[in-house]
Amino acid sequence: MARPHIEPFVDRDVTFKRMLLPGFGRDMHYKMLSMDGDTGACTMTVQLDGGYSQPPGFSWSEWEIMVVEGELQLDDRTVRKGHYFFVPAGYAMPAIKSEQGAIVLMMYNTGEPSLVEATEHHHLAHTNLYHDVDSYLDITWVPGNIVKPAVASGVMIKLLNYNPISHAMTFIYCMTPAFYQDNISYHDCAEESYHLWGTSWMMQFGDIPTGGYFWRPAYINHGAFASEFGCIALGRVDSKLFNYFHYNPWSTPQENQTRAAARVYQRDPLLYKWMVSHSHNHPHGPEDFEQTQKLRGPEFPDNEPETDGHKHSHWHTHKHHHHSHD
Amino acid sequence: MTFKNLFIDHERSKEEEEWIREELAEQEQRFAKIDRQMSDLAPARAKWYEEFFDRISLRGFNADGDQKVKIKREDLPVKPEGREDRVVWKYGVDGE
Repeated sequence: MARPHIEPFVDRDVTFKRMLLPGFGRDMHYKMLSMDGDTGACTMTVQLDGGYSQPPGFSWSEWEIMVVEGELQLDDRTVRKGHYFFVPAGYAMPAIKSEQGAIVLMMYNTGEPSLVEATEHHHLAHTNLYHDVDSYLDITWVPGNIVKPAVASGVMIKLLNYNPISHAMTFIYCMTPAFYQDNISYHDCAEESYHLWGTSWMMQFGDIPTGGYFWRPAYINHGAFASEFGCIALGRVDSKLFNYFHYNPWSTPQENQTRAAARVYQRDPLLYKWMVSHSHNHPHGPEDFEQTQKLRGPEFPDNEPETDGHKHSHWHTHKHHHHSHD
Repeated sequence: MTFKNLFIDHERSKEEEEWIREELAEQEQRFAKIDRQMSDLAPARAKWYEEFFDRISLRGFNADGDQKVKIKREDLPVKPEGREDRVVWKYGVDGE
């Protein structure tokens, strides 16, 4: 049943275990941070011993990697700490090696870890979604107030991945030294964080140091927040992030959820009324016509463009009228 | 989990099923330990709550970004009678 609330957990408190699932190299060790009991989706701190090698291949699950320490070699590329990969399900990665060893975060989003040896992508892979980046050197920090109501100044983020349908995000964030934010927050989404370096504090859970982790289901109170000396962390949300702020530390997730619905009613009353009146027989939500509409498909007749893609025939056509100025 | 990107259907091997079973059993233990630790933290947390109330009444509550609103002391909430101070909720709204 989904992932349970794991907060706080510090991976330094447990030892690595050898990865025994088929496909992976023998010199892979892991610490499980959280796992979805239904799907096997999970987040792990992974240690690749010096000399680690795994063949080219794909996973049945979408997955993400963040290099925490050390280096990886992918064919003739070397990537270092801070390098991030978003890998769609079925996307064939090249052989991965680590000559000197590495610590990485591995996040399997839609199924258990798997590696099927292959040099070509699975035919269902959404290969266009693949991307990777050196998040430390090739992305600049921006203020963390990407959503309103916003976090206080002193939180900075770098967005690593964004799902335009679910609004799920992966990002790194930092808190400046002496950061504090005096409110209690909750969200409509699950939230996950791994402290790459440094310590932050939350009023419910105390200090989260380097290696500290949480997976927090929706609507659970967290905050006030502070970081005495600053920190940097990898964060994820599994759908749209909206900050509900308040100052009642004793509210329950159910009360928070009800309040969130009340806020939707206050903000979007027409939408709320329609949703409530159509709430039956839609276990997967209302129909999104964009996902169900009939498409032309490859056999559609006369499917070639008729213009060069620059034409706007409705625009001014440069007809010149001559007027008498007498 | 609603990342909602692609998953490719496949058969899980017995080996994989067993691995997941073992990991979930260990996760249960991990959760139980965290739950205990967070219960043990309750006395410190009670003090942190009072300090929080002092800060938001004297210096302000972060309503949006750096916009701070001072909360009158009489508007501070009281703990509902009989409610334990609980911060860990196993499956959030789905599990209670």
